Amino acid sequence: MAMLEISHVSKFFGGLAANADVSFDVEAGSIMGLIGPNGAGKTTLFNCITGYYPPSKGEVVFDGRRMNGLQPDRVCKLGMVRTWQKVRPLAKLSVVDNVMVGALARTSSLRKAREMAMEQLKVVRMEHRAGFLAGGLPIGERKKLEVARALATGPKLLLLDEVMGGLNPAESEEIIQLILDIKARGLTQMVIEHDMKAIMRISDRIVVLTSGEKLTEGTPQEVVSNQDVIDAYLGESHA
Amino acid sequence: MMKTLPRAAAFLVIVGGLLALPRYVDNPYALHMMILLFLSISQGESWNILGGYTGQHSVGHAAYFGVGAYTTMMLLQAKGIAPWFGVWAGVAAVIVVALVIGSICFRLRGPYFVLASIAVAEIMRLSAINLTGLTNGAEGILVTDLPPFKIGERVVTDFMTKVPFYYLGLALALLTLLVTWGIERSKLGYYFQAIREDQDAAHSLGIPIARYKNIGLVISAVLTALAGSFYGIYVGFVDPPTVLGLDLSVQIMLIAIIGGMGTLYGPVLGSLVLVPLSEALRSNLITDLLVKSGLVSADSRTGQFLKENLAHAHVLLYGILVVLVILFMPEGIMGFVKKLASRRRKEAV
Repeated sequence: MAMLEISHVSKFFGGLAANADVSFDVEAGSIMGLIGPNGAGKTTLFNCITGYYPPSKGEVVFDGRRMNGLQPDRVCKLGMVRTWQKVRPLAKLSVVDNVMVGALARTSSLRKAREMAMEQLKVVRMEHRAGFLAGGLPIGERKKLEVARALATGPKLLLLDEVMGGLNPAESEEIIQLILDIKARGLTQMVIEHDMKAIMRISDRIVVLTSGEKLTEGTPQEVVSNQDVIDAYLGESHA
Repeated sequence: MMKTLPRAAAFLVIVGGLLALPRYVDNPYALHMMILLFLSISQGESWNILGGYTGQHSVGHAAYFGVGAYTTMMLLQAKGIAPWFGVWAGVAAVIVVALVIGSICFRLRGPYFVLASIAVAEIMRLSAINLTGLTNGAEGILVTDLPPFKIGERVVTDFMTKVPFYYLGLALALLTLLVTWGIERSKLGYYFQAIREDQDAAHSLGIPIARYKNIGLVISAVLTALAGSFYGIYVGFVDPPTVLGLDLSVQIMLIAIIGGMGTLYGPVLGSLVLVPLSEALRSNLITDLLVKSGLVSADSRTGQFLKENLAHAHVLLYGILVVLVILFMPEGIMGFVKKLASRRRKEAV
């Protein structure tokens, strides 16, 4: 059984279908890449999966449990947590306090939460930033803070929304290593990314969305050689 | 750790001094000022829990203050129920009111929540004016005689001087500080601040935001209601504009905004500024000072104008003060002090 089963999910805003009949499975322990041009409905799909929008149609089943209609906090408690494309640091709290907020999903003890938070800061190599205000961090570290905070909630499935967006090549490489480390620890991940080289390297499988619909799905090699994908990205005249 | 000890020591010294004060000061006016200060601290700290820590800027806290004050006073007047029992009825009533308000208003965010909070407080005020059978309407409720407070047969106090009110006020202010201190050091404080900083992020990190906003509101409302009950029995009179008016809601909020929202001692600093200021205005102290210093002649038109109007100008001056605070110290006095301290530390390094 797959860790996450998305079957026939649609999301309409008025007459606009942001997602139309999207179906795919994410296997436990794997990394699923989610790509597509701007406005293809990738973030909307994340919102539908994590409880920010109820899907208009279709079903999201996580770990054998139907998730439709659950609020984001319940989704998180059940083991699925997302990061934000536009980072959302708790600006006036320190870096370690930010991660502690995540860890408090698992414990009520501040002392334990602080230990867990420091552990996650080590994972993203930001221990030295623990006492800094989150609002003052540069973008690369804000992105890593998002990941540390999400990991602190103790998820089984981590949904990363463009964690490499806006980063320089060295920072991106660090994030790639981080994602592979997280995979090695047995976590399942779903990754939205525009950087094609990066997504090809890390993904076990890739789903391509265009205009809200699933264009194709397969291994990275299958996806790059797919004529529809080339058309979608480069325009049909290049075909 | 290094900082905690001297800070705790300073706190104990101040509290010890305040406990001993009535032994050395028996001037009723001075005690009255201290009682107003305690009341203001408890109002500001209570608001701060919801507005400062949780980021829900209620402009309707008069509703909770008024419900506490009215319930205690109505029970005292109509049924002769002593306020130290009546106050718990006030607390129960305010929890119900807060949960009703919370379930409605917390569906809204930002400015919409602010508007809804004003609307609800206005509904309470208009109800108090119009439910004359229950509240005595615009005339208000006057109860000057409090039953003596007994433990067993021993009369602890008969409330004939200001001293028992002084200690009650002090206890109330300390209670609100203690609750806030406890929140800062618990999961609640982290969750409240996470909601303030980013509601959607908080939600994704497993925080049931509606529940935690309601918890913040109930704590804040209960403490505000205690302050309201205390005000009622101290002044001996409540009517709709003084305990349910929009003025009061704004004043409660200003204590925390001026002192520093989301900080433990912010509302204390705010009270230390606002209480003397409003008293100086009310008693025409500022006009007298201007006249005495020779800046303005008492007989001149300016002098006459100030004497007649300055006493009523506290709302105007509050407004000016808020503009100044927002322009020059957006984090309140507390934030300003912290900034100065960190600048000094940097220079020292």
